[in-house]
Amino acid sequence: MRSSREQKGEPRKMGLIFFPAFDWAITPTHPEREERLLYTRDQIFEEGLMDLPEVEEYKPRLAEHKDIARVHFCIPSVEALVTEAHLIAAGSTLVLADAYMKGDITNAFALVRPPGHHSMRVAHGNRGFCNVNNEAIMVEYIRKKYGIRRVAIIDTDVHHGDGTQEIFYHDPDVLFISFHQDGRTLYPGSGFVDEQGGPKAIGRTINIPLPPETPDEGIHYVLEELVLPILKEFRPQLVVNSAGQDNHYTDPLANMRFSAQGYARLNEMLAPDIAVLEGGYAIETALPYVNCGIILAMAGLDYSNVREPDYHPGRFSMSRTMEANITGTVEYLQGIWEAREELTAKAVERAGPFFRRRKDIFYDTDGIRERQTESVKMCPDKGCPGYMTIDTDAARGYGHSDSGFGVFVPLFACKSCREEGREEYEAHKTDSRYNYIFFQDKNRDDYRLYSTRMHNERVY
Amino acid sequence: MLIGIDVGGTTTDAVLIDKGKTIKTSKVPTDHDHLLECLMGALDEVVREVLTEEIERVVLSTTLITNLIAEGKADPVALIIEPGPGMNPEESRLDGEVRIVGGAIDYRGREIQPLDEDQVKKAAAALAERGYRRVAVASKFGQRNHSHEEKMREIVLRTHPEMTVEMGHRASGRLNFPRRAATAVLKAAAQERYRKFAEEVAEAISKRDIKAPIYILKADGGTLPLATSIEHPVETIFSGPAASTMGVLALTPPGQTSVVVDIGGTTTDLALILDGVPLISSKGARVDSHLTHIRAFAVKSVALGGDSRVRAEGQTVTLGPDRAGPAFCLGGPQPTPTDAMKLLKLISIGDISLAEEAMAKLGRDLGCSAGEAAQKVVDAAVEILIGEIDEMFLAWEEEPAYRVWEILQKERIRPQNVVGVGGGSLGLIPLVAERLGAEGIIPEDAAVANAIGAAVARPTLTLSLRADTERGFYTVAEDGTTGEIRDKKLGQKEAEALAKRLIVERAERMGIGEYAGEAEVTSSEVFNMVRGWATTGRILDVGMQIPAGLIPEWTGGGRG
Repeated sequence: MRSSREQKGEPRKMGLIFFPAFDWAITPTHPEREERLLYTRDQIFEEGLMDLPEVEEYKPRLAEHKDIARVHFCIPSVEALVTEAHLIAAGSTLVLADAYMKGDITNAFALVRPPGHHSMRVAHGNRGFCNVNNEAIMVEYIRKKYGIRRVAIIDTDVHHGDGTQEIFYHDPDVLFISFHQDGRTLYPGSGFVDEQGGPKAIGRTINIPLPPETPDEGIHYVLEELVLPILKEFRPQLVVNSAGQDNHYTDPLANMRFSAQGYARLNEMLAPDIAVLEGGYAIETALPYVNCGIILAMAGLDYSNVREPDYHPGRFSMSRTMEANITGTVEYLQGIWEAREELTAKAVERAGPFFRRRKDIFYDTDGIRERQTESVKMCPDKGCPGYMTIDTDAARGYGHSDSGFGVFVPLFACKSCREEGREEYEAHKTDSRYNYIFFQDKNRDDYRLYSTRMHNERVY
Repeated sequence: MLIGIDVGGTTTDAVLIDKGKTIKTSKVPTDHDHLLECLMGALDEVVREVLTEEIERVVLSTTLITNLIAEGKADPVALIIEPGPGMNPEESRLDGEVRIVGGAIDYRGREIQPLDEDQVKKAAAALAERGYRRVAVASKFGQRNHSHEEKMREIVLRTHPEMTVEMGHRASGRLNFPRRAATAVLKAAAQERYRKFAEEVAEAISKRDIKAPIYILKADGGTLPLATSIEHPVETIFSGPAASTMGVLALTPPGQTSVVVDIGGTTTDLALILDGVPLISSKGARVDSHLTHIRAFAVKSVALGGDSRVRAEGQTVTLGPDRAGPAFCLGGPQPTPTDAMKLLKLISIGDISLAEEAMAKLGRDLGCSAGEAAQKVVDAAVEILIGEIDEMFLAWEEEPAYRVWEILQKERIRPQNVVGVGGGSLGLIPLVAERLGAEGIIPEDAAVANAIGAAVARPTLTLSLRADTERGFYTVAEDGTTGEIRDKKLGQKEAEALAKRLIVERAERMGIGEYAGEAEVTSSEVFNMVRGWATTGRILDVGMQIPAGLIPEWTGGGRG
């Protein structure tokens, strides 16, 4: 999307929040620790990037609990699940979102931690280093506050953005595209081509699993042949890059072969309106260079001089097998995208009045095993995504379990779905099978949490 | 007895202070081509009839460097940089003659590409050919590893012994390579003239049989012995606004939050004192078009003063940014804010009937009476100042922060006092204060607050230590000192102790050893370095400083 700043003919200016959370870690030796962005700080400060007229540095703020409740059913509560660092990382994206929507900046990069793309709608704890989903919180804030509807989120982290996918799975107005190292070889073990969106939103979730060791060339190919043409057709009002940096050839937790040049070029090609940092744990060998490259590319400056000390062009190449694998995936997904309307119609017909699915979710960091049943009303109103209910039960360690029931009414839901959703919420307040009853009505911006044990209601 | 002398844009002011009281003041016009004569003229007036052996301290603040640079009179300096990977060096916006050489050092001070010595030789030859005698050399991350900068210097001096070479890491060791390079260039450009000036000052003062130590005021409100300052010429830039702020600190109750308003003829300088500590600009000072690492108070210069041009636009007035004055009531050609204040009896100087005439003329353009016109002018001036003050507080609140606690602790604060200093339009102060819900203060010695500030300012000093125990060394950002660290498990306490020892040594080298005990730790962080799943070392960052403050001899004003 052309920013309002560009439309006004003002010079380019990139908004940047650098929030390294130098005083926050999951545990002292966890990859998500104080040291993670230390060398990145050294590199981007030493370059003097913050002094450039093309770069405007912003100060983070805390997101409000309501901003979190707009997206998540936090168990046992928002307050219990997030630390101040989470509120600041999420709040940073909101500061940049406001600056972008007001036309103060051309594009923006939230270079912040902790990350968020593995967090799903129901959040019992930390999954894949994430507690709450920064991109989803930002997108829903923007859609509510500024009235835009169509958003594209491109997840460029090496891990499947399963949290973001799950949150927007049934939303036909949010296009979620994730490319990542094949889930058969990497956490979280999902993100296969057949995960295509809910019945009413087929083709609005696109997963591009890539073989291990895919270099720049492979990812640029996917971008050019698949992602960019789809974006052109979808015409999003906002493009978000869920910007992980762990496709890098030195990342200790994954096996891809992407370079700093590759990342800079990716951001130049994709031209996201707002990029939000996700993973990336090669804190010395990748992050200083990758971040420098991304900032320069987004600010419209020359990034050709950014390179890792041990990198030279042509260092990594693709084998025939790898190439065939990637082209095969791209062709298959092109087919899905083109057939999305028919596929949607068929899927809705097959689903009946309610679409139901069961999910088993594992929280690796906190060791929680969650079981969910999700139920979406297949509303006859074509423009209405239908309200959704989620039944969740999470086992933590031995004997302790948290159960909840949530009702989610989407922003663009029809009147009868809004009413039915509300009735479901009220009816479940007396349902003693659950500890917590949640309610999200995005249309009214009304978010509630009812405790069946304490018999009290919290309104966010 | 203490002496403070401030060379300002228009006047040079001096004060003599005894037992916490200002006992003598003087003002002479500033002649920028003869600064030494101005200084001595102002000095002579206050020391007449004083026994020179009773003088304990002489502090100067001067515009010398500011003017040298602004007028382009500084010596030409060429720059040789080793940018390594990263930004395109052509886009770093370094002014002047810049030569680029190959080689690279990374963020932890590791050599990742050897210096291309041949390119250095060629660059030096080309610069000599073009007539340069002064060169600054700077390498990206040169503060974490000096070897390339030292090698560059050695090559230049070997091939061109007539040259002088300044190294980036000696100008500053803070992160931000373009600023370090620019600071090194300014240092090289100003050094020779500054040395000459400092020597002349020392000689002239000694001729007057004054044996007291002589200090110079820096942009961060601290003093430095004149002899040591020769090594730090650019730090003396912008000492004027620093002097005024220190004056306000001396003349208001301690520990309070104040806005310093120094209204001059065409500009007003604004500075902040937060809980008794003058606010330092988080980044270095901007000198002309150069962004530098020079530590300076966060001073905002607003194009509004007593002599500003007043224009009628429909029924409203606009002020400045150009000068119309002197004021009509002081024999000038056109109406000015000073005339408006005179007519409204906010100030005492000037001829009331001329002020009335000026405002009547303005009133005719605005379609109102002389009194109403004067009110509009004053309202407009107050409005501008309020807006700028608000913006300064907002900018302070909006400073980026990189730690959770910094985001949580920053609160909204507003001034308790609005303090007016300088000669001019003090009549505006109570009006501005009232609008801000603060107390308006015009100290008794407001007209020479700058010279008082210089006289009673104490030295300042900072020290930023980075220890990298995995690589086994530490660096000091301020002057590029490095040393070995043997203990891989060096703890936070030990790192702080090391920083304390280093700041004492640094204070002694600077000739301000007696203040080293005032140094406090301002930040202290430890980063565990984890490679694989094992801790392999630590990075420790410790910041220390002697903040701007007043010498113990000062007991006057509001000091309790």
